[in-house]
Amino acid sequence: MTTIRQRGIFLVGLAASAVVAAAAFAQPAKPPDVDAVLSHLDDLYRSKSSIARIEMIVTGARSMRTMRLKAWTRGEDDALIVVEAPAREEGTATLRVGPNLWNYLPRIARTIRVPPSMMLGSWMGTDFTNDDLVKESSLHKDFESRIDRRSDSPPGWWLTLTVKPGIVGRWARIEILISDDGWLPLQERHFDRKGRLARTMAFDEIRMLGGRRVPAHLVLAPTDVEGQRTEMRYLDLQFDARIPDDTFSLSRLERSRQ
Amino acid sequence: MATPLPTTWRIAWRNLWRNPRRTGLALAAIGLSVTLVLIYDGVLRWEAGWMVDTITGPMLGHVQAHAPEWRKTRAMEKTLRDVTKTVAALRADPGVAGVDARVYAPALAALGEEGFAIMVIGVDVAEAARPARLLQGVTTRIGTREVLMGNLLAAQMGVKPGDRIAVVGQGVDGSLANDLLTVRALISTPVDSVNRQALIMPIRDAQDLFAMSDEAHELVIYGRDVEQAKALAAGLQRLPALSGAEVLDWQAAQPGMYELVRLVEVMWVFILVLVFVAAAAGVANTALMSTFERTHEFGMLLALGTTPSRIVGMIVLESLALGATGALLGTALGSALVAWAYRTGIDYAALTGGGPTNLSAFGMNFSLVIYPWLTAVDIVRVVAAVMVTSLVASVWPALRAARLQPARALRE
Repeated sequence: MTTIRQRGIFLVGLAASAVVAAAAFAQPAKPPDVDAVLSHLDDLYRSKSSIARIEMIVTGARSMRTMRLKAWTRGEDDALIVVEAPAREEGTATLRVGPNLWNYLPRIARTIRVPPSMMLGSWMGTDFTNDDLVKESSLHKDFESRIDRRSDSPPGWWLTLTVKPGIVGRWARIEILISDDGWLPLQERHFDRKGRLARTMAFDEIRMLGGRRVPAHLVLAPTDVEGQRTEMRYLDLQFDARIPDDTFSLSRLERSRQ
Repeated sequence: MATPLPTTWRIAWRNLWRNPRRTGLALAAIGLSVTLVLIYDGVLRWEAGWMVDTITGPMLGHVQAHAPEWRKTRAMEKTLRDVTKTVAALRADPGVAGVDARVYAPALAALGEEGFAIMVIGVDVAEAARPARLLQGVTTRIGTREVLMGNLLAAQMGVKPGDRIAVVGQGVDGSLANDLLTVRALISTPVDSVNRQALIMPIRDAQDLFAMSDEAHELVIYGRDVEQAKALAAGLQRLPALSGAEVLDWQAAQPGMYELVRLVEVMWVFILVLVFVAAAAGVANTALMSTFERTHEFGMLLALGTTPSRIVGMIVLESLALGATGALLGTALGSALVAWAYRTGIDYAALTGGGPTNLSAFGMNFSLVIYPWLTAVDIVRVVAAVMVTSLVASVWPALRAARLQPARALRE
């Protein structure tokens, strides 16, 4: 009898505190629907198709390199990135079709498929990995997501994505800060399998590109190497442009360059 | 007591052969124990030297130098600079027998479209081709844009000598490094990871490919004597050419390997103890049996006026003579076997019925063809150990015989 009564009192207490907590949280704004936010983020720079010009600046302990890229995407699975500058690497291209990644190297006129064991390797000497190019779209599939907490400055919401059990990947948890106005990404934090913060992404320079308001600039910084970072800036972005079907094919990859 | 000793010797020797079968068995036991110990000694001599050579020769060196953080991060840009000057300074050091400067760069290699994760290792080819080094026995001249490939990697990629492969990696400045290279020959080294993953090229070519200047990730340094590695490391750390570099002896660089060598030694001591317990049991058994059955005789000798000390001396001498004869036979047999094995080598694989000829541990392939050898110390040590064992084993029976009451002993 006593246990039942105690549990009853406990439940009442719990309910009361939940009401208080809910009231406290509900104050600033109603949390957005998490699935809607994720779909929005997924689609932000991509739409049905996109063509972008991108400048990338890689800062390392010993050097700073600037690259100019042109990128085509179609749907969630196809992408082609071609290096336009510097001259030494001009024409070097990366093609993604589904889970496969190929690099085309004009200097030696060869196309090489990136093996699974190299997926965590650096992409073109940047802080992005090959995996980043492929995994981008699987956040929905591989992670359990929820709206975690309110951020006051800048005003927005923190999303927490926790990896689903049984999924093999580099990240155990990803935190994303989205803004109140337009659900734009402001910050991302990637935590590795040991729960350590492994890298951060900061988004800024929000402006109109291809008819959308998006952050034009992002800085990716691994936390374990001091002074190391990769900056990426969209110079130009077109959405839903007509892209020839054979853009995302190996034969085109080899034919069009050189 | 001055003259009787040779007599006691003679009597002891004759007593020993009053039961030739038992003495023969005891001699066989002692002799075989000594033979076994000498063979183990010989194998240990080979192992201690050869195992350390196998571990240090191809990959580790006796001492290594790196840029401070390289071992932890393996980042391309953590290099030692002015390598040519540093290597020259090291070679001028009287304690240094050789220096191999190396570049390690992860890369992607492809024969066709399929890429494979590999490790490009740039080495000083002349240095690495010396005996017991990484490229021992490789006489192929490596021309420009030519490489050697690990045989297991080649099998995985389907590469044959003469094939042209694409190699793609990242230069030390982050730029794209890519080239077409001809596989000149396939190599099989004692280092598993090299056979499985490596592409080996002259360090100058590796530096060019990966946009490096006169720099290297690792200096592999060989001293005159591997036993002195620790002292050599400490000495080299003080050289101005290596100031700021991390200088480690092989034991500090690869504690796991060092533990492996130590483990083998400890196991050997264990076997040695077992063998000696067996030998001691043989001697003690013979001594005890022969004194018990001669109680009547000792009573007679005592009654005739033989001093108890002379009886003690006789029994101890019997035991020592037994031990010495056994040790002599064992030494002769053991040394002969070791000498023979040293000349021909023992193929462990053949002994175990065609198993592998290599033992793989910690990513190293240890040859299982054994060339044991001995020094005088090993023989002196084992003979001394047998004599001490014989002496100790005879003490109790001797004292028992000395304390016999002649009258009571005679009645037995």
